[in-house]
Amino acid sequence: MRSPIITNSHHLTEEEEWARMTPVERYIESGRLWSVYLSLGGSLDPEPDSQSPFDFPELERAVSPHGGTGVHIIRRGGI
Amino acid sequence: MGGQACILYGAAEFSRDLDLSINISTENLILLIKALKQLDAELIFVPDLDPEALNRGHACHFRCLAPEAKGLRIDLMARMRDCPDFEELWKNRTIVSLPEIGEIGLLSLPDLVQSKKTQREKDWPMIRRLIETDIIQSQDHASEKQILFWLKECRTSSLLIDLARKYAEQCKALMIQRPLLSFAQKGDIATLEDLLHLEEETEKEKDRQYWEPLKKELEKWRRGK
Repeated sequence: MRSPIITNSHHLTEEEEWARMTPVERYIESGRLWSVYLSLGGSLDPEPDSQSPFDFPELERAVSPHGGTGVHIIRRGGI
Repeated sequence: MGGQACILYGAAEFSRDLDLSINISTENLILLIKALKQLDAELIFVPDLDPEALNRGHACHFRCLAPEAKGLRIDLMARMRDCPDFEELWKNRTIVSLPEIGEIGLLSLPDLVQSKKTQREKDWPMIRRLIETDIIQSQDHASEKQILFWLKECRTSSLLIDLARKYAEQCKALMIQRPLLSFAQKGDIATLEDLLHLEEETEKEKDRQYWEPLKKELEKWRRGK
């Protein structure tokens, strides 16, 4: 029988635990994190990332998930 | 695709947006526009939702204003650097059934890994974790395809050494394609790490070159607004 490749020396226990969850369990857990994050006023805007090809201020303007201000709309109904 | 797919595959990422790879057929775009309208999604940057721009590799950026998704950013792409076209991505997809949502299609793990080979520093630890996780999940029942995928894409030096020893035959067959595998087989961790770094830098440079003309185009559109 082949020996396992991964042992605890390769992974932190928490990461391994997360990896061993099913996609549905991770989806539920991630949803919980989202709720906490949003309840604490977390922004849904991406963090500034100078290495991203989309590093434009228009895409970084924050809007609070509670309906705050600051969105710069390029175009309304422009889908 | 993106962070949400990484979560479902088991790499620990907190993602604030939703990145979707889309089919830009007329029929699908009609459905997409309908869905975006239901979410009261507004275009927040250039370009418009334009099949030609999407086909050249641009992304379209939206923000939802509907109460149930207020503030959610949705980025749409139809083409990613060195990834297969949409038909192939769709054929390769992984289907996951989520509570209250139903079945969704995720980029296959190899396609997701390829799409993450960007110029952004933060995407590289994610690739490493995606593959480590796949090994954790499948090491006891790995298919030949998975073994080859791990040998081609694994970015964790210690793991690569273990893989190269455990799957020596497959490793040897892939050495021309990925020369650093010979150092994995020798257990030369220092050289292996240097070469992994070089591999990463080469891909980052390719991505910068890929985006250069697209960024110029974006800037032109942006100034035109």
